[in-house]
Amino acid sequence: MSPELALEAPPALLQLEDVRAAYDNIEVLHGIDLAVPPGTVVALLGPNGAGKSTTLKVACGLMAPSAGKVLVAGRDMTGVRPEELARRGVITIPEGKGIFPNLSVKENLLMATYAGRPIGEVEDIAYTRFPRLKERRNQLAGTMSGGEQQMLAMARGLAADPAVLLLDELSMGLAPLVVEELYGIVAQIADAGVSILVVEQFARTVLGVADVAVIMVHGVVRRVGRPQEIEDELSDAYLGG
Amino acid sequence: MTDMIDSTAPTGTMGTKGSELNENPERIEAFRTEVEQMKLRASSAEGERRLVVLGALALAAGLALAVFGGIMVQNTTENVAANQRAFMATGTLLGIALIIVGAALFVRFSLARYLRFWLIRLVHESRANTDRIVEAIERNRQP
Repeated sequence: MSPELALEAPPALLQLEDVRAAYDNIEVLHGIDLAVPPGTVVALLGPNGAGKSTTLKVACGLMAPSAGKVLVAGRDMTGVRPEELARRGVITIPEGKGIFPNLSVKENLLMATYAGRPIGEVEDIAYTRFPRLKERRNQLAGTMSGGEQQMLAMARGLAADPAVLLLDELSMGLAPLVVEELYGIVAQIADAGVSILVVEQFARTVLGVADVAVIMVHGVVRRVGRPQEIEDELSDAYLGG
Repeated sequence: MTDMIDSTAPTGTMGTKGSELNENPERIEAFRTEVEQMKLRASSAEGERRLVVLGALALAAGLALAVFGGIMVQNTTENVAANQRAFMATGTLLGIALIIVGAALFVRFSLARYLRFWLIRLVHESRANTDRIVEAIERNRQP
């Protein structure tokens, strides 16, 4: 980036500085530098086991790094509890959706009222964005299709008025058409000004909506750039070229 | 982020979808304000280190005060009884109190990390033992 643009660029809303993380004695992140500027979609790509989900867990506070810093709006938030970050607007939609399968759609949305919004408002946001959920509001979440469950998870996330949205493997277990629909919605959310960090194994699905793509392999950031530049290097990165 | 963008990228824009950056300035400003207002505790490791240092300082100060009080008690020549009681109270006794508190803080927090790890290890071993016993019982039950 040119020095002029560097001066003009606003500070990132979410930033990881030289983050290392480990499960017991096994280090899986070896010094990750990552930033999500305001109003951008950053796609974190990489093969299985690259450390993408671990990076997301560190970013949202679910996992404490063994070294390095997590900066939120320029402030060191390393070690801050994830619910504290969530209350301020760092919202995570985890791998596996994170919905309550034994509760109905409405009851799941009721869980999103922790941010202070009344249920009526939460439902309004959810059903406006995802009309299909309105049809199923009394249905048990566990009986819905994978795509509808993912919509419910996203609706809960959006109801919390995110400033930064962290999405982990949105496409997991879903049909390509459904994935396309969901990423269309992600693009709409991004257009509304939400900063998004999306972790995705299936890169081509997310490159169409991303502003910046980051390729991670074996716990390190291999390449950062615009999606058009990254696309050609994806195969090499995934296959170890 | 400045390091993350290729230097050949066009200046003035960061979006690649042909549009300017999509921002929601009010929400971003509200977010920054809320984050700035958060009261953050120092990390527990830093807090414990401070208490260890405080304990050591209290120990040293208490020792100095106790010795000072003792010397003054020995060397007082005027109003002996009253002055001796004063030096005892403000010197020696206060010094002993500081020694006790300082030692307690020092020992408690310098050992805390070690003891925490030791306790976790004990719990882990105990669970592993229980699992082994259950496994052995179930193996014996099988015909």
